[in-house]
Amino acid sequence: MERKKQEYNYTFFSPFPEKNPRQIAEKVVEKAGKEKILEALRKMLLIRNFELRAESAYQHGKIGGFFHSYYGEEAIQTSLITAIGEEHWFTGFYRCHALALLLGNTPNELMAELYGKENGNAKGRGGSMHLYGKQLLGGFAIVGGQLPIAIGSAFTIKYLNEKDKIAVCFLGEGAVAQGMFHEALNLASLWELPCLFVIENNKWGMGTHVSRAIAKEPIAMSQAPSYDMKGYTLDGMDFFNCYAGFSHIYEEILRSKKPILVECICARFRGHSISDPAFYRTKEELGASMERDPINLLFTTLQELGLINAERFNEMNNIEKQKMIEAMHFADTSPWPSPATLEEGVFAP
Amino acid sequence: MSNNKTQTIEMREALRQALDEEMARDKRVFIMGEEVGEYNGAYKVTKGLLDKWGPMRVLDTPISEGGFAGLGIGAAMTGLRPVVEFMSWNFSFVAADQLIQNAAKIYYMSGGRFSVPIVFRGPNGAAAQVSCQHSHCVEALYSNLPGFIVIAPSNPYDAKGLLKSAIRDNNPVLFLENELDYGMKMEIPLEEYLVPIGKGNIVQEGKDLTLISHGRMVNVCKETAKVAAQKGISIEIIDLRTIKPLDLPLILQSVKKTHRCLIVEEGHFFAGIASEIGFQIMQNGFDFLDAPIARVCQRETPLPYSKFLEAETLPNVQRILLAIEKTLL
Repeated sequence: MERKKQEYNYTFFSPFPEKNPRQIAEKVVEKAGKEKILEALRKMLLIRNFELRAESAYQHGKIGGFFHSYYGEEAIQTSLITAIGEEHWFTGFYRCHALALLLGNTPNELMAELYGKENGNAKGRGGSMHLYGKQLLGGFAIVGGQLPIAIGSAFTIKYLNEKDKIAVCFLGEGAVAQGMFHEALNLASLWELPCLFVIENNKWGMGTHVSRAIAKEPIAMSQAPSYDMKGYTLDGMDFFNCYAGFSHIYEEILRSKKPILVECICARFRGHSISDPAFYRTKEELGASMERDPINLLFTTLQELGLINAERFNEMNNIEKQKMIEAMHFADTSPWPSPATLEEGVFAP
Repeated sequence: MSNNKTQTIEMREALRQALDEEMARDKRVFIMGEEVGEYNGAYKVTKGLLDKWGPMRVLDTPISEGGFAGLGIGAAMTGLRPVVEFMSWNFSFVAADQLIQNAAKIYYMSGGRFSVPIVFRGPNGAAAQVSCQHSHCVEALYSNLPGFIVIAPSNPYDAKGLLKSAIRDNNPVLFLENELDYGMKMEIPLEEYLVPIGKGNIVQEGKDLTLISHGRMVNVCKETAKVAAQKGISIEIIDLRTIKPLDLPLILQSVKKTHRCLIVEEGHFFAGIASEIGFQIMQNGFDFLDAPIARVCQRETPLPYSKFLEAETLPNVQRILLAIEKTLL
């Protein structure tokens, strides 16, 4: 069946009347505070360095299996968690390293998990696609399989009547074609579950362009009304647009007690997974995306606002890089799981 | 304070009491499924529970098995104890990804960080002429997966005690009932009791042959044993009650005594429960055996509609008796 690739021209939501990105950035900094935004930049560098280091460890044969890098998409999850905090339930998919880092897991335990070591995040049983945290219900590796889990956590919040808490579910745009997406949205809306669904639309489901997989774009704005939900489109490369959008949407969920569907338009700077050379994407296309590198965008704006300089940025980056080198050493020198433990922990006591 | 008061109730009422008692005991327990609330349950197992516990604890779902099975798993991971009803276990196949990839694996896959205390229950296997897509026995399929507890009670006493244990267990439990058994009556205690998971039951003692089964087929085995007794054959019947974990010690103890064994399973031959039990007996009790282990299972076809064909494919007294006589030759 022939269906030609098409580029959709997105319009992004902003809760502010201002159109000038710098004015919006100023508003966000004013609202969140300088420290919080600089900390967000640091976290994005933490994620970037983790992904780059882990990728090199993979190439050296230290890490096996599937490996999906969040390189290029850092602004989305960082801005969301900076905006709404960690005390919610989070559900991710197989591209889950960043989420685990943002929710308080150490680079050491995560790197050790990727290396398959005993002291890894999931004792070496989950690997790259299955990371967990106190508030992280996991990376789920079957496309769309995480959506009902997320609404289950939203159900618990409603059942226990927990205030200010929501469930956040990340998915790729590819998951929208799965039945579970539609079942979960229907149930979440029907039962008014406090769930924020975030579609990270990096335009490519492995090597299939979104326009060849999903009948209608923009996805969130098209799909949400079918389920009596609100939908938003955000610029996933722009930290400030995401931060402002997510802050607004979080308040709206608390106020309306209804789920919301958000689509963040973004780009991954690597293939679908580490083994994907991404021949389906032109160099020009990738180059254009990388010109909007979310870390550079955030840094440049903060620099313009006089909140950071290049020296401080480089220092920050070097600290994170150093942490990752230490994490690799930690993982490398950590013990393998004992074969004697293989059959332990299939059942909970 | 023990008393000997009893009640004579149907299987559906025994299950209802188990749900009701556990909901009273633990606020985190809730029920979810198609028609469990306002309709009072497709088979009336949840009758009256919506009125008693309200719509936050007894939830009517849309026809969305994958969605609500997964919702239950997510709720279980975050502190609740859901009981999810499948109107038929045949509908669990559209939720299979949630059951197999999530419920069964999350505890292990997360290195013990998240457990999934959830019960999936509903009627399994053939009923009366419900044809190919409503009659499948799911136990062999799901028992193949590490992480599940699989229970199949054959009477109201066990059903109540086992369902209560299942709800209290911290793992995903697949609880297999049978539509034809919901009206089965039995005298059971009025006071609270539990039946432990993982323990089979010697339904009747005998010396010539061990007959092993689970679920509705246990009662077909009991009928067969009566006919066999008239022919002077003494049958020992084991009701597995829990398929997984399997009560192998009980099975071996019996086979050691009778030296002959026949396994009856409503589901199919290939890679079935009977195959597994037979293999485990061979592996662990080979020297006890005086004859090859035999089995009677469903024939290798989807279960047909016509009542004559349906009767022909399911294990019945005649087929079981024939297998007993052959094993005793």
